[in-house]
Amino acid sequence: MNRKNKNNIHMEDRQGKPVDSMALDDEKRIKILSPGLLVFKRFIRNKLAITGAIFILAMFIFSYFGGWLMPYREDEVFTKYVDMSKVYAAVSENTEYKFITTDNTEFPMIARSQFVLASNNDRNLFESQGVSYSIEKLADELFVVFNTREVAVVSIILGNTNVALSDPSMGPSFIERLEEAVDAGEETFTYNDKKYLLVQGKKNYLAYELEPLALATLNRYDFISADISVSYDFAFAMELAMHELMETGEKSRLITVGGVEYEMEVEEEKASIYLRNNGDRTLYANISRYLVESIYQDVFISIDFKDQVKAMMSEGVEGVQDFVYVNIDGEEEEYTIERNNTEWVIRWIEDTLVIKAYDPPSKEHIMGTDGNGMDILTRLMYGGRISLMIGFIVVVIETMIGIILGGIAGYFGKWVDNLIMRIVDTFNSIPSLPIIIIIGAMMDAQRVDPKIRMIYLMFILAFLGWPGIARMVRGQILSLREQEFMIATEATGLSVSKRIFKHLVPNVIPQLIVISTLSLGGVILTESVLSFLGLGVKFPFASWGNIINAVSNVHVMTNYLFVWIPAGFCILITVLGFNFIGDGLRDAFDPKMKR
Amino acid sequence: MTEKSKRQIAAETKERLVIEDNYIPLVHDDKYILEVNALKKYFPIKDGLLQRVTGHIKAVDGISFKIERGTTMGLVGESGCGKTTAGRTILRLTEKSAGQVLFNGKEVYDYTKKELQAIRPQMQIIFQDPFSSLSPRLPIREIIGEAVREHEIVPRNEFNDYINDIMENCGLQPYHRDRYPHEFSGGQRQRICIARALALNPDFVVCDEPVSALDVSVQAQIINLLMDLQDKFKLTYLFISHDLSVVEHISDTIGVMYLGDLVEFGRKEDIFRMPLHPYTKALFSAIPVPDPTAKINRILIEGSMPSPANPPKGCKFHTRCQSCMEMCKTVVPVQKEIEPGHYVVCHLYNDYEGA
Repeated sequence: MNRKNKNNIHMEDRQGKPVDSMALDDEKRIKILSPGLLVFKRFIRNKLAITGAIFILAMFIFSYFGGWLMPYREDEVFTKYVDMSKVYAAVSENTEYKFITTDNTEFPMIARSQFVLASNNDRNLFESQGVSYSIEKLADELFVVFNTREVAVVSIILGNTNVALSDPSMGPSFIERLEEAVDAGEETFTYNDKKYLLVQGKKNYLAYELEPLALATLNRYDFISADISVSYDFAFAMELAMHELMETGEKSRLITVGGVEYEMEVEEEKASIYLRNNGDRTLYANISRYLVESIYQDVFISIDFKDQVKAMMSEGVEGVQDFVYVNIDGEEEEYTIERNNTEWVIRWIEDTLVIKAYDPPSKEHIMGTDGNGMDILTRLMYGGRISLMIGFIVVVIETMIGIILGGIAGYFGKWVDNLIMRIVDTFNSIPSLPIIIIIGAMMDAQRVDPKIRMIYLMFILAFLGWPGIARMVRGQILSLREQEFMIATEATGLSVSKRIFKHLVPNVIPQLIVISTLSLGGVILTESVLSFLGLGVKFPFASWGNIINAVSNVHVMTNYLFVWIPAGFCILITVLGFNFIGDGLRDAFDPKMKR
Repeated sequence: MTEKSKRQIAAETKERLVIEDNYIPLVHDDKYILEVNALKKYFPIKDGLLQRVTGHIKAVDGISFKIERGTTMGLVGESGCGKTTAGRTILRLTEKSAGQVLFNGKEVYDYTKKELQAIRPQMQIIFQDPFSSLSPRLPIREIIGEAVREHEIVPRNEFNDYINDIMENCGLQPYHRDRYPHEFSGGQRQRICIARALALNPDFVVCDEPVSALDVSVQAQIINLLMDLQDKFKLTYLFISHDLSVVEHISDTIGVMYLGDLVEFGRKEDIFRMPLHPYTKALFSAIPVPDPTAKINRILIEGSMPSPANPPKGCKFHTRCQSCMEMCKTVVPVQKEIEPGHYVVCHLYNDYEGA
């Protein structure tokens, strides 16, 4: 070799002398490609890999931009109005006593049932919870219940009447009245506007002071307004008047209660009460045996409606009968009435708000709605976000753990390598699916928040997935470490950090990219499986896996294909895409592949 | 033979595993850039569950030689005799087991890691395989210039010119700077390796079979390049090769290695004129002569090289030596200076009282 000669040629080149155009000048002939560009070139020539890349790109755009463009929220529940025949009110003949208590008193429930027993057995005294009560029968099915207090014991010994007072405040005039009553054989007597009861014992009489407590009646009072409630005095007066009118056969009567004048009109077993005011009369209340009650607590049924219903019932209702009620505003309302044994059920057609469950695809919901009334397309997009995000984060975490541990094992070798590889072996022997299932069940039991649960899930998947990557990195670094170019870096005296990051790492990265891409598909699949089993991503968060979960219901699986097929298709496309890309990258990184 | 007790065997094994480190310390002479004294490199053989050391592969088993400044020493020997290990141990790319390596009068193994890193540029290595010795993911300018920047050999603004100069000196075009190793032929890659070593402005370069992987025409180019560069930069080479004609062409002194031992060492002229060791004789008789009519009296060495893990007792070469004596099988020969600067390790010259 003649070096001088060669140098001369260089001199000419550098001085910019014209070069022979026929010379094969490397500079013009060969396009310089870095290894990265070469890989890229090989990658884009691989049709399958490009298909995969398009799949993944499409999935990304669908999930991220789609979710951004969709007007609906991830967990938005859609509803619609449906005309539904619903029970509005029920009518029944009253067979239970209604107790109208005096002001500021209470008639306990237990005592009420004791009253029913006593009245059925014609007893006029009963006791409940240590309190004595007495009953006065005013008419059939009309009673007054009194609070009873023993005031005196009257004993007659050899014709001499002896009175023992429990209450010393009672004067001698009361004893006179008492003896008078005993002599006359009266059961009740009044003294000082108070009622007293005499009960004959074996050898003596017991005297009780009676305090009115409640009126027991089977009649119901329907007022014109929900604000009015029935008072004892009013009811007492009305019941007596009604009873008397029915006995005498009179049609109407004027009654004054508490300074207000009422007029009562009786017809068969019903009575109407009018409020009289300077000769005008307005309907105030109705009394009847029928109880008309709405099933809605806050609905007050007007007296007109009740009248109309009662009139129909007295005519007799057969089957389902329609009727129209004109309300106060003059609007017609349609109802149906139906007899049901001793009850009458009134139904109306109501606009009911229902969840749009399993709504087939429509303009509003292009892919329909799922069982929770949520838009499937929206949920697919958000689910894609979560599935892809989980996939990426898991792979990033496991790659990081893998690089660090595998790198340490490979670079330092010896016992460090041994230790780390045994840990890797241990992790590889853990059955990951059962472990994840157990952890999922534990999180179910702990009621972990769905968002935090998602984070846990990522860490668990990464924690179980790193050994493969660590092993690969370690093997790669072990083989690279012995390559002559690594010895050359030592011989040229490069720092350790430069040797690792400039020489070792770039040479591991190709394999790392390939294995990461391939494991992305795997992670997404695992996540779907877990979500499908209900152990992964939880409602309200969507994931492709938990969308497919709908097929666990056979009815949904066979009848609502649009609910679960798209999610399955998304998973298929994404995993396929990642696998295509991974294969493409592997081929592209392999210099022996000439494509 | 009485049966040995277990304890005796254990004691013997222990004794066997001790690496002897006896040598007479060298007195540094400034005309030598590198002085190697009784250098040993044993690789441990680990066995069993606990990976206990059960033996050693004696890759380099006590070699001593000196290289003068600006000269080339050729180190020859058949495959596996420890040439490459010797080269790498001298540069402290693998740790020595025993012995002394003085570079410019200083013990290489006394440097701390930091000091060693600072001294690295002065002693470089060119590898045998130009394909695996270049990182595939770096462009040429990085491969050559990386360490230049690290050691701040030239100021930052002169960096590009410096790299271009080095590349030109090594027969590369400056426009190759941005290319990657895969775009070069073997010869070009070896030039890149040489450029990488020379960019650090070294005094001493170990050429570890730099031409074995290349075809013959390129070999000549590379050898001439190395010689030109030696003139230009006043380099000292330790030229490791198994190719005697190449060694003859480039070397000033020659060392012949066999199974970890330096069996003969001397000036090139002396050795080619009068090879002393039977192994050297056999080697030199194998040099092809470009004359079909010439009759060559080839000395054939039979058998293969014994395992360096369990070398023969006495003279290591006695199993294959044609002039083997009874003594060779038991007594380890010592180095003898037959003529000034011409050393041999062989019992044949025990009676020689010369020099």
